Amino acid sequence: MDNGATMHLAVSLLPGTSDLTGEPEFPRLVRFVQQAEAAALDMVLLADSAPASDSGTVNNPMPFEATTLLAALATVTSRIGLVAAASTVTHQPYNLARRFASLDIISHGRAGWNATMARSPREATNFSRPEGFSDTDFRRRSEEYIGIVQGLWQGWDADALLFDKSGGRFHDPEKMHLLDHKGEFFFVRGPLNVARSPQDTPVLVLSGLSEPDLDIAARTADVILLESGSVESAKVRYDDLKRRATAAGRDPDAVKVLTNISLAPDDSSATLADRLETQFRAKSCDGFSIHLSQLSVFDDFFKRVAPELRRRGLFRETYRGTTLRSHLGLAGGGEQ
Amino acid sequence: MTAQMKLGVFLWATGHHIAAWRHPKSHVTAGIDIDHYIQLARTAEAAKFDMIFCEDAAGLREANIGIGSQTSRSIGFEPISLLSALAVQTSRIGLVSTASTSYNEPYGLARTFLSLDHLSGGRAGWNLVTSASPIEAANFGATGLKPHADRYERAREFAEVVTSLWHGKASGHAGQSFSVRDPLDLPRSPQGAPVMVQAGASDVGRDLAARTADVVFTAAQTFEEAKAFHDDLKARMAAYGREPDDIKIMPGVSPVVAETEAEAREKHEELQELIPDDVGVALLSSYLSISDLWRYPIDGPLPELPESEGMKSRQALVVEQSRRDGLSIRQLARHFAGARGHWRIVGTAAQVADELQARFEGGAADGFNVMPSYFPGELDAFATLVVPELQRRGLFRRDYEGLTLREHLGLKRPA
Ligand SMILES: Cc1cc2nc3c(=O)[nH]c(=O)nc-3n(C[C@H](O)[C@H](O)[C@H](O)COP(=O)(O)O)c2cc1C
Repeated sequence: MDNGATMHLAVSLLPGTSDLTGEPEFPRLVRFVQQAEAAALDMVLLADSAPASDSGTVNNPMPFEATTLLAALATVTSRIGLVAAASTVTHQPYNLARRFASLDIISHGRAGWNATMARSPREATNFSRPEGFSDTDFRRRSEEYIGIVQGLWQGWDADALLFDKSGGRFHDPEKMHLLDHKGEFFFVRGPLNVARSPQDTPVLVLSGLSEPDLDIAARTADVILLESGSVESAKVRYDDLKRRATAAGRDPDAVKVLTNISLAPDDSSATLADRLETQFRAKSCDGFSIHLSQLSVFDDFFKRVAPELRRRGLFRETYRGTTLRSHLGLAGGGEQ
Repeated sequence: MTAQMKLGVFLWATGHHIAAWRHPKSHVTAGIDIDHYIQLARTAEAAKFDMIFCEDAAGLREANIGIGSQTSRSIGFEPISLLSALAVQTSRIGLVSTASTSYNEPYGLARTFLSLDHLSGGRAGWNLVTSASPIEAANFGATGLKPHADRYERAREFAEVVTSLWHGKASGHAGQSFSVRDPLDLPRSPQGAPVMVQAGASDVGRDLAARTADVVFTAAQTFEEAKAFHDDLKARMAAYGREPDDIKIMPGVSPVVAETEAEAREKHEELQELIPDDVGVALLSSYLSISDLWRYPIDGPLPELPESEGMKSRQALVVEQSRRDGLSIRQLARHFAGARGHWRIVGTAAQVADELQARFEGGAADGFNVMPSYFPGELDAFATLVVPELQRRGLFRRDYEGLTLREHLGLKRPA
C-alpha cells in the first residue's frame, strides 16, 4: 500500500467451533492459536458460550469460559493478542476490570475485552434478573459500566511502583488514584488492586452495535466489530464511525473498525484474498475478523490466504511489537 | 497405611510476613511477575503438595493509602486468572482460589470454576468467603458492608446454587437472593465437582462449613484452640448427614525453618526488624475491624473492643492471645504481622515436623495450609527441609496417589 498501512486480521473462536474429534479440547485450541500466531495475526477473539446465546440450543459448547481460557492460552503463546468476551451482566464492573487487568499482566500486554452491546434476555435470567433490562436501560448501564472499567484501568500511573526495599516505599501514594464513581447503576470507589497494564490499558473491543450504540463505541472502543454488508454500505458506516470518533475528540485512527467475515469451506483462497483486498482498498474497514464453524477450515486460511495477502503487500510479514496495542497500531491508553 | 497429612501452600505475592517484600531475598516484583508464580507452583508440585491456595479481596487491603504504600499488599494477580495460567503450566497440584459470595452471582462463579476445573483436568477448588472488609464493599455499592448474618445467609444460598449447578442438576432456582433458570452449559467436572473450601469460623461460619465444605481453612494459635475447632466442626457434620472424614481441616501455619535453630531465629528476627510500627498496628486494626487503635498507647494493653461485623472469629483469636500472653499493642502488632494471627513455628526441620505431627496425631488438624514468610526462599526451605522429614516419618506422601484434587485429598467423588 502506498501509505504502508496494512490490514488487521483477527480470528474468532465461536461456541460450537469444537469439532468433536475425540481429541482433548485444550491442545486443539493451543495448536490453533499457535498457528494464528505463526501467521502473525493481530488477535484471536474468544467467544463465551452460553450466556451470550439466546438460541436455547447449545451445540458442542466449548468446555471453557473465555477469561480462564485466555489466561491459559497466554502462557503458551508469546505475541498474538487474546481477546475474551465477557458480559456486563455476568460480572460486576470492579471484578471484570480486575480480571482483565490481571490477564493483561499474565499475557505481557496482549489482552483485550470484547463487550457486546447486544442485550441478551436469556442471560439475565441466570443472573437474578428474571425481568431483564429494557434496551435503553441496558444501553445506559453499558456505557456507565465501560466508563468504570476504563477508569479503573487507569487507577495507577505508569511509574507508581517503586519497589524500594530499604526505604520501605513499595509504591508512591500520589500515583494511585481513587475512581470514586457514583452513577445511576453503580457505585465503585476503586482503585484496582492490580498494577497498571503493560500496554497502559487492555484493548476494548465492542461488538453487537445498533445505531444508538455508535456514539458510545466511537467514544470508548479501541476496536469495533461490524457485520459485513456491501462494500458501499460498509464504507458509509466506516466513514460515519471515524467522523463520530473525531467529534468525540479522538484521533480517528485510534479506533480500528473490523468487518466480520464468515469463512465457508469452499471459498477458494484467491477469491477470498480478492474479496478482502477489494473491501480494504475501498477503505470500508481497517481489517477483518474471520469467523468459522470448524477449526480445520482455518488450515487453508493460514497456509494460503494469509501468505497471498502478504504477497500483495496487504498484511504484515511479522510482528513488530509485543503488545496487542502495538499490533493494532494503537497508542498506549490514556493519551490518545 | 496410616493416615497422612494434607498440605496446601498459600501463595501470597512477596510472602505472608507483612515486611516480606523488604527482605533482601524476597522477590519484590512478584505481584506483576507470572513467571515467579509458575516457578512457585512447580516447586510446590515437585514437593507433592495437595494444592496451591490463593486468598482474595476485591479491593485494597488497607484503608490508609500512606500505610498501604509501605506494604506490597496493594497489587497482585486476580486469583482465578492466575490459577488458570498455572493450570496449564502444572499437571498434578490442586488449584484453589478464594472468591466472595457477597460480590458475585452463583451462575457465573460456578461456570468460571468449572472452566478452571476443565483446564486443569479436575484440580480446581473454590474457597468460599463472605468478605469482611468495608473497603471492598465500597467497590460494590453505596450501602457499605452488610451485616455478618446477612452475608452468611446470602452465602448459604449461594453455596446451594453452585453445588446444584456443579452436580448437573437442572436449575430453576428462585430464592431470596438469587434466581437461576438454566443448567450450566459446560460438561460435568472431571472430578465430579470442584472442591469446596471454606474459611470463616464464627458459629454461622462453622455451620455453613459443616453443611457444604470439603476443606476448611482456619487460623489457630494453640493446640487447644485447634483441637476445639476441629472437634466442634466435625461434631456439627452429623446434622447434615455427613461423616467426619468428609471434611479436611487445614489450619494455617507459617514456619520459619533453617538448618539450625539459631539460624531460624536469626532469619525470623531479620524479618521482624523490617516492620514499621504504624504498618503493624494498621494491619492489626484491620483484622480487629476498628479504625483507631493507633490512638491508644502502643506499649499499653489492647482496649475493650466493640463487637465486630467483620471477622468475628479473628477478633476473638487476637483478644484471646493478648490476654493469655499479656501482650502490649506493639507486641501484639509485631506478632500479628508475621502471619496475620496464624500459627508460627521457628526452628529446624525436625522441630517443625514435631509440632505439625503433634497437632496432626493429636486430632487437631487433618493437614496444614503452609504460609511461607517470604517467597521463594521460605517455600524452598519448607520443600527441601520439612517435606523430606515428614516423608521419612511416613506423615506425608512421596508421590501423588491420583490425578485430581479430590483424589489427593481422599475425598469422595460426588454422585
Ligand atoms: C482462615 C481464614 C481465611 C480467610 N480468607 C479470606 C479471604 O481470602 N478473603 C476474604 O474476603 N475473606 C477471608 N476470610 C473471611 C471470611 O470469609 C469471613 O468473611 C470472616 O472470617 C467473617 O466470618 P467469621 O466471623 O465466620 O470468621 C477468611 C477467614 C478465615 C477464618
